[in-house]
Amino acid sequence: MIRNIIILTLNDLSIAFKNKTIYLILFIPLFVFISLKFVDQKDANFRKTNIGLIQNEKYPPVIMKSIKAADNVFAISWLSHEEEGKRRLKEKKLDGILIRSEKEPQRVELLVLTKASFQTLAIVESFSALQVAVEGGSKNWISDIKPLQDSGIQKQTLPTWILMLVLLVSFIIAPAQVAEEKEKKLLLGLLQTPMRESEWLLAKIFSGMILIHLAVLFLHLLGKFDLGNCLSYAAFIGVGSFCFSSFGIFLGFLCRTQASARTLGVIFYLPLLLPSALSDVSRKLNTVAPLLPSYQFYGPIKAILLEGGGISNFSLEWIYLILVGLLACFLSYRLMKKRWLM
Amino acid sequence: MLIEVHNLTKVYNEKRGLLPTSFEVEKKELIAIIGHNGAGKSTLLKMLAGWLLPDSGEVSVDGIDLKNRTALVRKVGFVPEAPNLFDFFSVEYNFKLFARLFQIPLLRIEETLEEFNLLPYRHNKIQVLSKGLKQRVSIGRSLLADPPVLLFDEPTSGLDFEMTKEIYRLLKSTHASGKTILFTSHRPEEIKTLATRVILLHQGSLVFDGPPREYFQSKIHENLYA
Repeated sequence: MIRNIIILTLNDLSIAFKNKTIYLILFIPLFVFISLKFVDQKDANFRKTNIGLIQNEKYPPVIMKSIKAADNVFAISWLSHEEEGKRRLKEKKLDGILIRSEKEPQRVELLVLTKASFQTLAIVESFSALQVAVEGGSKNWISDIKPLQDSGIQKQTLPTWILMLVLLVSFIIAPAQVAEEKEKKLLLGLLQTPMRESEWLLAKIFSGMILIHLAVLFLHLLGKFDLGNCLSYAAFIGVGSFCFSSFGIFLGFLCRTQASARTLGVIFYLPLLLPSALSDVSRKLNTVAPLLPSYQFYGPIKAILLEGGGISNFSLEWIYLILVGLLACFLSYRLMKKRWLM
Repeated sequence: MLIEVHNLTKVYNEKRGLLPTSFEVEKKELIAIIGHNGAGKSTLLKMLAGWLLPDSGEVSVDGIDLKNRTALVRKVGFVPEAPNLFDFFSVEYNFKLFARLFQIPLLRIEETLEEFNLLPYRHNKIQVLSKGLKQRVSIGRSLLADPPVLLFDEPTSGLDFEMTKEIYRLLKSTHASGKTILFTSHRPEEIKTLATRVILLHQGSLVFDGPPREYFQSKIHENLYA
């Protein structure tokens, strides 16, 4: 049995090389890595805030004087009018624009691209510190902001990328491969040998798991991210890749052709990816997402990578993932036995 | 009896498929299964090959039940109408994959490549071969495990005259080596040249079973094809 599984797994991996699927496995982590390189700069916290001031605006003198004095914190750009400022804000050439408050002439309004952003928070923090330094007196009520997940944007977004890679192999590549073998009658050809159905199925799951591990490993080799609890991380990648590979193979069995398998794959890919990946920014999604198997994978991966958690803290999650994987595996086996849409 | 088919049935809808069909096959027979499109020829062969599961009925080949697939595949080789080979890989790779799954010595691959005049093409990818060559590879692959029974679904469909002659030669030599062969066909000359027995299916039912000469002289042939 093991011999046949090895033969078939190697055959599947050879197919992945021949039909260029392997390029997708390598290209996507590379793309993610390059994108992250652009997003996350190591000196982002120390970069000067680029603030725009309108030339003919009558700003309160104390504010103007303070900003000009703090030239190690603020870089001033003079603007002819507000519209120019808005344009440059959209072009990301400015971090914010100061506009004199019409209701309270001694105060200013801050115009930013998005209110809920790290950049806006940094500007408000800088101004608050500047005000305390100039006016003296009482200190800020909040003396410091200490994040629970103390890491850069690269690492903050890493669990999302890992989830994306796992789901991509499982729902975009695996179903199409299964459907292709059905469409070209290759699976029926293999069933003309003494190979058992379970051997073929296990080989397909293993090849899916190997491709997922390759993609994740390649991303880590490029990014050299700190893994935290390495064993727990590897174990969860293993459990997740088993669950979603089995799920993807099951989807492949529901389709007669590659084209329909790709469509069905995307139909499952996005609803599994987006609610989990965006659960941090939406309370509603955070309520719905735990129902999805992708969240049971994403949550622990995020905790292991960002908060130093271990697999022992997530026993329910990995049992859930294994059960979903086994169920998908069993359903695929039944469909294969019935020669479903072959 | 080598093959015993008893009340084998497969119905797709009211008109297509195979109605309860029974027949027996002795060793070294070369049987042409004929009939119009949709008569149930391919359905019958695919069920014997394990590609389709019957609704009901029983089949045994050399005493092995159809349900025992892993044992049956050593007794029955199947060559489908469209060769189902791994296109990205070479002829040799396709043979090796099957030889490994059958656990037969790799020396057998050399014999088969030589027997089917495929040695010059051993490293060629399947996707660059002509349909005739693909068919030869497909037949060669089905014979790797040396099964006593071979099933061919329209083996010369879409082939030119030369390739058709080549397939006839292969079928004859394979039959001469002691194999039992069942093939589906539309071509009268193929039936006359090759078959030792004819099974005629019409709308899913077996309507004639006998020698080719008797078939061509019968009213059934006239009514159906004249």
